[in-house]
Amino acid sequence: MIARRPLLLAAALSLWVIALPASAETIDELEALSRGSATPVAGIALARRQMGRGELTDALASLERVLINHPHARDAQLLRASLLCQLDDRAGSTTEFGQLRGRGVSEQALDTAIRECDALSRQRPAR
Amino acid sequence: MSRTRKAAVLAAALASCLAPAAANAPTQVGIAAAVLNRVTIARGGAAQMRPAVLRQQVAMADRVETGSRSQLQILLLDRSTFTVGANARLTIDRFVYDPAQGRSMSASVAKGAFRFMSGRPGRGGNSTIATPVASIGIRGTIVDGVVGADAIAIAGGERATGGARDSDPQTATLVLLRGPGANTRGNVLPGEISVSAGGKTVTLDRPLLAVYVPRAGAQPIGPFALSLSGLNRVQGLIFPSLAEWRLATAPAPSGAYPMPMPQQRRRRPPVMVGDPYGGGPIGEPGPGGGMPGYGVGIPSLPSMPRGTAQSPPRDPPPRTSTTQQEPVPVAAPTPAADPTQYQQPTPPPPMEPTPTPAPTPAPAPTPAPTPTPTPPPTAPPPPATGPNYPPTPNDAPPPSDNNSPPSTYGAPNQGPQPGTTSGKN
Repeated sequence: MIARRPLLLAAALSLWVIALPASAETIDELEALSRGSATPVAGIALARRQMGRGELTDALASLERVLINHPHARDAQLLRASLLCQLDDRAGSTTEFGQLRGRGVSEQALDTAIRECDALSRQRPAR
Repeated sequence: MSRTRKAAVLAAALASCLAPAAANAPTQVGIAAAVLNRVTIARGGAAQMRPAVLRQQVAMADRVETGSRSQLQILLLDRSTFTVGANARLTIDRFVYDPAQGRSMSASVAKGAFRFMSGRPGRGGNSTIATPVASIGIRGTIVDGVVGADAIAIAGGERATGGARDSDPQTATLVLLRGPGANTRGNVLPGEISVSAGGKTVTLDRPLLAVYVPRAGAQPIGPFALSLSGLNRVQGLIFPSLAEWRLATAPAPSGAYPMPMPQQRRRRPPVMVGDPYGGGPIGEPGPGGGMPGYGVGIPSLPSMPRGTAQSPPRDPPPRTSTTQQEPVPVAAPTPAADPTQYQQPTPPPPMEPTPTPAPTPAPAPTPAPTPTPTPPPTAPPPPATGPNYPPTPNDAPPPSDNNSPPSTYGAPNQGPQPGTTSGKN
């Protein structure tokens, strides 16, 4: 009699487990992405990894999460401007580069990013 | 009753309790991946709004609202993102995602500015965003939109809209395609959106193309290329904290501020060497990374009475890695963070184009204009406007003081933040 109790409890537990959302793991992934962009350093590193995989919109989302809570993160802004350029949003990147001018971003870094963007826009992507 | 019967009854009761709960459980569609200031969520059409917490799950039919100076990014299961700016109201009406089949989503934005970025390209699926006057069909793209009086303000500056006359300040909608463009890199595809209103559908297939729907029943005006000024304003609405920072750190003004204060000297903030985020120029990390640099070098001016705006707001105070890694609850708001506390609004102090050290003595002379901490001021923040972010109903005044943290920016919500902002609509 007593030996059956664990079985019944296991059955009840299994019912509870079945009731969990099937997307739990994916939600965990989303939470990891959110945590991964909690700071400018971490968010920029995450964005660079995503850019390396070609996930440009994911990278943009990561940088924008950073900027929501760390709007002063100039390096995130600069990378975001370059990313917009890679997404062929020239107006957006031009605007963002312009907003960074005179706000503590090194002129050299800014000019380099702008030059790279210009060079990128002259090339047609291989598809 | 035997023990076996008791256990069986217990299990049955447990199962009967859990089964309906599972059936009625809301469908989780994503999480609140970034939360700034006052963001509230009403579960599944419920009337009661509860403060959103960072990384809390978002379910279908949840209604999300943001207050003034607030912002939210929802990360959906397919990695699409919905970012809403201040004073916005958004509902995810439907979301179906199968990693093998693609995604189908519909959402409605009743007011405010938003950005939607499609995730996981190449697997098909369409998204639809409804505003009070238009329906936006999205195919793998980045789209920005503004609903309400701000849309009128922005569209009014565009020649193509004819001054945005006869517009409804509650429902007017501006929609803007941001990309990706035809020459995009990476594992993304060029985007396209179609905007339907008044029985007409307009397709946007190039970044910066926009349409404007002035009121219910009206046909879309456009497409037209949005001006860079208009683009700036849209960005300022979607990213209010970034817009405020840019206002506060505007370089030497090219034009006059709306309300110049002649008694204040124009002053440029010192370069914060060493602050990896807020201070040092990119690519030129200074010594002692993360050292306090915020507000240093701009103590109270001798000629100014205490309690008045003294200098342009600068970067927020330095954040330690601890607070960044694990966001902490936002500190209690100071009077300076509450726009309702304004006694006498003043514009941001003018700035000086040369980065000179502050006139007040620093503890130790440094070769670089290294700032020194000063006690937090009590001055209320002045409303500020700038050439790139003209005042709009949603514009919030930036922090007026370089020493006071810019409201609660930088501290993601971990729960309710009473009094952080005002004016949630």
